[in-house]
Amino acid sequence: MITRDGSRRAGNGLTRTIAVLLLTAAAVLPATAADMTYDRAVNVDKEPGNWLLHHKDYAAHRFSPLDQINALNVRDLHLAFVVGLGGFESGGRYAFGNLEGTPIVEDGMMYVTDGWGRVYKIDVTSGTQGKIVWKMDPGVDRAWAGDVACCGINNRGVALWKDKVISVTLDGRLIAMKKDTGEPVWDRQIADPAVGETLTLAPLVIRDTAIVGASGAEYGVRGWIDATDLNTGKQTWRTYTIPAKGEPGSETWKDGRNAASHGGGSAWETGTYDPATDTMYWGTGNPGPDYDAEYRPGDNLWTDSVLAMDPNTGKVKWAFQYTPNDPFDYDEISEHPLVDAIINGQPRKLVIHAGRNGYFYEFDRITGQFVNGKQYADNNNWTPGLDPETGKPANYDPKKDVQPYSATAGRTRAKPVGLVCTAHVGAKNWEPSSYNPDLHLLYVGSIEGCDEITTKEQPDFVADGGTVKPREQFTGGGSRYMEKPVGSLKAIDVLTGDVVAKLAQQYPNYAGTLATGGGLVFTGAIDGRFSAHDAKTLQELWSFNAGTGINAPPISYSVNGKQYVAVLVGSRQSPAIFGMHPELKNTATASMLFVFGL
Amino acid sequence: MTGRFWMISRGRGGVVIVMLAMLILFAGAAIAQTAEERQVDFGKEIYKSKATCLFCHRWDGNGDQGYGGIALSLRKTQLTHDQLIETIRCGRPGTGMPYHDQFAYTDKRCYDVTRADLGDKAPPQAVSFLAPREVQAVVAFLEAKIKGRGPATLEECVYFWGAETKECDTYKN
Repeated sequence: MITRDGSRRAGNGLTRTIAVLLLTAAAVLPATAADMTYDRAVNVDKEPGNWLLHHKDYAAHRFSPLDQINALNVRDLHLAFVVGLGGFESGGRYAFGNLEGTPIVEDGMMYVTDGWGRVYKIDVTSGTQGKIVWKMDPGVDRAWAGDVACCGINNRGVALWKDKVISVTLDGRLIAMKKDTGEPVWDRQIADPAVGETLTLAPLVIRDTAIVGASGAEYGVRGWIDATDLNTGKQTWRTYTIPAKGEPGSETWKDGRNAASHGGGSAWETGTYDPATDTMYWGTGNPGPDYDAEYRPGDNLWTDSVLAMDPNTGKVKWAFQYTPNDPFDYDEISEHPLVDAIINGQPRKLVIHAGRNGYFYEFDRITGQFVNGKQYADNNNWTPGLDPETGKPANYDPKKDVQPYSATAGRTRAKPVGLVCTAHVGAKNWEPSSYNPDLHLLYVGSIEGCDEITTKEQPDFVADGGTVKPREQFTGGGSRYMEKPVGSLKAIDVLTGDVVAKLAQQYPNYAGTLATGGGLVFTGAIDGRFSAHDAKTLQELWSFNAGTGINAPPISYSVNGKQYVAVLVGSRQSPAIFGMHPELKNTATASMLFVFGL
Repeated sequence: MTGRFWMISRGRGGVVIVMLAMLILFAGAAIAQTAEERQVDFGKEIYKSKATCLFCHRWDGNGDQGYGGIALSLRKTQLTHDQLIETIRCGRPGTGMPYHDQFAYTDKRCYDVTRADLGDKAPPQAVSFLAPREVQAVVAFLEAKIKGRGPATLEECVYFWGAETKECDTYKN
């Protein structure tokens, strides 16, 4: 040690030993992360460098206030590091897993999932390397779950709760694992693949409850939203999206048989939540059989709807159905952002939604009153527009049990083939939008194009005297592309509902968008292009080609004072999409995390 | 077996050695597949995990609907061996059946037409291209295990998926 007079002499051995022990302990023991609490969840703005919730905040703005990366310097954005993940395995109907997840970041620790539901905790604090701290493999029954997954091997991410990480599996389980080690603590079987149900979404955690929704509307399920008490791992409530016989809304299933039991109404994307009124907003999926509307005469409540619900009881406060007796597979499961805005001189508390059916909607989120609705898809042929009073399709006839909709897109068993615009995958599928609150613009990664749908009379399930066994598809026909789908990036002004900026894109957008305080919008494409755009004009300011498809939403976070943009990269889109773009024929699948910084 | 074993085997000990040798021979024969059986298994793996034909046609080949389109039943198909080969290689214009020959429609090898001739009737490309021997193997699998068969059985399900999954539970009643 150095003495006060500067000379050296042998230090006190005990002091040195203690110092060494303390230093070693500090290096070896990780700083304990704070528990994730409801208070933090409703105050994510206080942690601008973190991305604590699936949609960034409970209102699903997917807006990062960070502005270190901005329109002036984004041209200098470059790859900081990548991390290889798993999820390549085939299973069920698929050659490999998919990557659709949104990462979670808390204080330099990132949590991502691959399609087979593995959860990875990745230490990104260094900014130059992502180190996998632990990996939890839930051991999904890949054949069993994968054979009833309509649309890929998907897992859209995790939620944090206390000192746990909460995830789902395709084979229908909810799992709670320790945040520090990844060790599973309990799991609960919620969805039942034996009847065609799977789980693909990131759970919504509100206080001590995790809420998830079923997938499976192509397999004749009766959809539901289900809540688990995270303290006990037990169910607290389940709300079916299709009413039981005798319940309000059951009169909108007029088949006189059992259609409602297989009526669809899945709920496969994470809902939003308003703490001020303790209300959550969930979208519901298509009615089943998808394309045979004559099987299920009536409006088919509450398919293709938004439900405002009490998270404690699952009770529905109000609901609105977008597309009654839908023959186009226009699920409306995707996010319902909450926005406060001045409309016609009045401050309004809104819930908004860029619909799969090609229309953008705004409602009063307290009362459910329809406020505004406008077309945002380039090409819609199934309805001339929306009724300005009710928000329903203009050619919806409440006196009819089976809705014909337009002559070109509408179909019957007698006239089964139709050209449907926007295609059944919708103007916006699951890929989430983002919202810039300063510009009041909603950014939608959109899919443009039409497809051909053929209606085929749907036989009944065996239990109803027919020939269809559980786990067989229950779609009443099929769809196929006649022309290649393309894409666009659109900015919708929430004050008017108008598309105020648009950038045509070569490929349908299946990644969604991220908006940032740096005046940027980020998105990814199926040819690997990851790009940053001006938040006002959508002009592309920067891009990087990752060399394989991007089908996941980007996020932004900061650690040690530096901002990063991250996205999961890899996996090809469905054969139906890829098949129409032969120039992408050699695209390989991959499973990577890409992180960019200045 | 070398001559030496036979030379050594004399008396009662010899019988045991001969039985052991025969056991080894027969066990080996049971494990070794014929070339035909190997080809069928290879075709099954392609149908299942590489070309994922099951996405549209279902694992039992009985056809399906939904996002794969209205795919025909291969159990009920009347297509001949050569027609099956051609349909897999070239797809079917005007339908959702994709082509698996990576050079299909770049020349006249498929139905004597090019992509330019077909315009928007050109079939989509497959999730994975297949070499000629892979197409042969898929057709061998179809002819051995799918074409002409009635409703799928538990045995067929286990052959296709293996025993470690609940996929075949629905056939167990």
